[in-house]
Amino acid sequence: MIGGVMLQFDFFAWLAGIPQWLEDVILWIWGIVKGIIWWIWDIIQWVWAQVFLPTNFMFLFRAVLFPGLVFVVLALIWAVWFTRKLWGRIQDRRGPVHMGKYGGLQLFADAIKLIAKESIIPDNAKRWMFRFLPGLLLVIVLLPFCFIPWDFEYWYIADLSVSLVLVFAFLTAVPVIALLAGWVSGSKYSLIGGFRAANNQFAAEIPMIISTIGPALLAGSLSLMGIAQAQTNIWFAALLPINLATFLVAAIASVGVFPFDAPVADSEIIFGWRTEFTGIYFTLTYFAEFAEQMLYSALIVALFLGGPVGFPFLPGAVNFIIKFIITFFFFVLVSSSFQRLRQDQIVHYCWKYLLPLALLNVIVIMFAIVYLPGLAALLPLGGG
Amino acid sequence: MSPDILDEAMEIWFGPQHVSAHGWATKLTLVGDYVVECDPNAGYFHRSAEKVLEFKNFRQGSLVLERMCMLEAFLAEYPYVAAVEKIAEIEVPERAKVMRTIMMEMSRLHSIQFWWGQFNAELGFFTMALWPWVDREYSLDVFEELTGSRHTVSYSTPGGVKYDFTDKFMETLDRAVGRFEDRLQKFRDMQMGSPTFRARTEGIGLYDVKQGLKWGLSGPPIKACGVPMDLRKDDPDPNLSYDMVDFEIPITENPEHPGQSDALDRMEQRFKEAEVACDIVKQLIPQIPDGPIVDPKARGKANRLPEGEAYSRIEGTRGITSLWLKTQDKAQTAYRAKIRGPCIASYYALKDLVPGSKFADFIVIFGSLDPYPGWWDR
Repeated sequence: MIGGVMLQFDFFAWLAGIPQWLEDVILWIWGIVKGIIWWIWDIIQWVWAQVFLPTNFMFLFRAVLFPGLVFVVLALIWAVWFTRKLWGRIQDRRGPVHMGKYGGLQLFADAIKLIAKESIIPDNAKRWMFRFLPGLLLVIVLLPFCFIPWDFEYWYIADLSVSLVLVFAFLTAVPVIALLAGWVSGSKYSLIGGFRAANNQFAAEIPMIISTIGPALLAGSLSLMGIAQAQTNIWFAALLPINLATFLVAAIASVGVFPFDAPVADSEIIFGWRTEFTGIYFTLTYFAEFAEQMLYSALIVALFLGGPVGFPFLPGAVNFIIKFIITFFFFVLVSSSFQRLRQDQIVHYCWKYLLPLALLNVIVIMFAIVYLPGLAALLPLGGG
Repeated sequence: MSPDILDEAMEIWFGPQHVSAHGWATKLTLVGDYVVECDPNAGYFHRSAEKVLEFKNFRQGSLVLERMCMLEAFLAEYPYVAAVEKIAEIEVPERAKVMRTIMMEMSRLHSIQFWWGQFNAELGFFTMALWPWVDREYSLDVFEELTGSRHTVSYSTPGGVKYDFTDKFMETLDRAVGRFEDRLQKFRDMQMGSPTFRARTEGIGLYDVKQGLKWGLSGPPIKACGVPMDLRKDDPDPNLSYDMVDFEIPITENPEHPGQSDALDRMEQRFKEAEVACDIVKQLIPQIPDGPIVDPKARGKANRLPEGEAYSRIEGTRGITSLWLKTQDKAQTAYRAKIRGPCIASYYALKDLVPGSKFADFIVIFGSLDPYPGWWDR
């Protein structure tokens, strides 16, 4: 070609270079992959080292296994079985008997059945909120368990100076979620149930928090651990018996089981805010109800019944669990022996009777501390 | 009621898929928590019983009737049998009369036991719902021992009854009545003494005699106002043996509101009804005469009836249960049968009774009147 530039290109040399080029590409990719693998391996090594650091390992053990998640879930399974069995006995029937010894595996059978069921989401429902809220509810109810003082040393997860306030902050979210769940379900019955749940909390929360002022005052602490430690000499149940009763009633009203089960009154509004939940979503809300009852039982033990204080020959956590079971028994007993109240009657009872009684006990005990020096000496307030 | 209040109203269908609505649907209009309008709807339980009766012969008809209300099967089937006996002029043996009466009162007892549990379940007290249902099992044992069936008993037949009382049956009967009489007193004190129960029922669904009679109520809902209106005394059926027993018509008079009844009075009235039913059964057991249990010629007589018409009525658990039967000459089936159940009156009474009450009280008012959908969907 005249006057043009000819590209000098050795085709055969290029052909011979292809394997080299491919090898380079593969090596380059391998380098990246190796880097990622090493990086992951480093992370694993670091996590491993962190986990098996003596302090970290035991913290994780407590958070995940013993007073933590696994223990709480096992206790939840036990609580459902215990409730059903006790309800059966009170109601002149046998409760679950077929699955396992004394029907102990009934809950697993029910859970498998419910999880295997089709999850129906109504057309009118807000789909993502409908899916999200039951799980959120269970998480919010399970979180406060980490502040429960199962024992004074070692067998507890976290001890905050304001854990009492934080627990109530979490629990206030529960009826809000119930209201939201009723709202996003897109059903009139669910909406009514959601508002009734909010109404229950409106009625019960103030008496409940006023009832906890007594223990907090006497212990001079807003930490559940501090309140439990203040009861080494004398349980607050002896000084604040009325507050114990008002807290128990307000807790039942706040959970929304019989006789305060207007939010899920099955004969009136089908199943309240849970009407449209099926399958796994229903299972989560059902577990959340039991977890909330258990949480309130544990709070009662920590606030009024001395926490881990008890038989000196037993470990503190065992003492706590014994008292916890007895308190939970009262929950089941009360919830199986009263008629359901109307929602305006719930507000009426809570505000007209519980609130003044809770205040009365606080005032009485304040005067008692001032005028009985021997009493004040039993408490960490000092005095005398 | 100004129109802008109704702008905020919410219409809600109570039924037919509602768990408390077993075969009925009521449209409620709510403003806030109050019911301002109540629209009872019939037709969700329709089984064409009256039409079916035109295709069944006169011994089969009572089987259709007992399915109108399975809770009081012995009582429900009887008006048809009585009407056939009237037209065919069939004599009933004395023994069969007493046996019928005993079983009808047992049926009343069973129905009250069931209602008691159901009402407590509607009020949200499942413990008290299951305790009467334990006693109900004993009543069902009685029915099963006698007829082999717990609900669809088909006991009365034109000219007598189908099955004789055996010794084992008498033991079962004594056990059921004795046990229930014992437990009735305890449960009654527990139920009426419960402050939460009183809080839910006192002053709920209050009406007076005049309103009740205007709506056409009968049975416990009107007797709870203090009106001694009872067909067992007022118009005793000649083929039943209520004249052999000595009993008072159970009525409830609340001194707080004389001439009126609320849900609490209607509960009290049912307890009294159950007591009287137990009393009648216990009085009749030693008086059962010997003899045949069915007229042997009745089967032939009931095969083809002469032309005629008959109206028969009894005091059912829920009120006056009646049936009008018209036959053609030498026909094997009825020309027309008209059933008048007691509950259509108490169901449509909700239309006037419920507005103004709270939504949560609707089911209490409904349960205290005890309408059974079989009686209005015929």
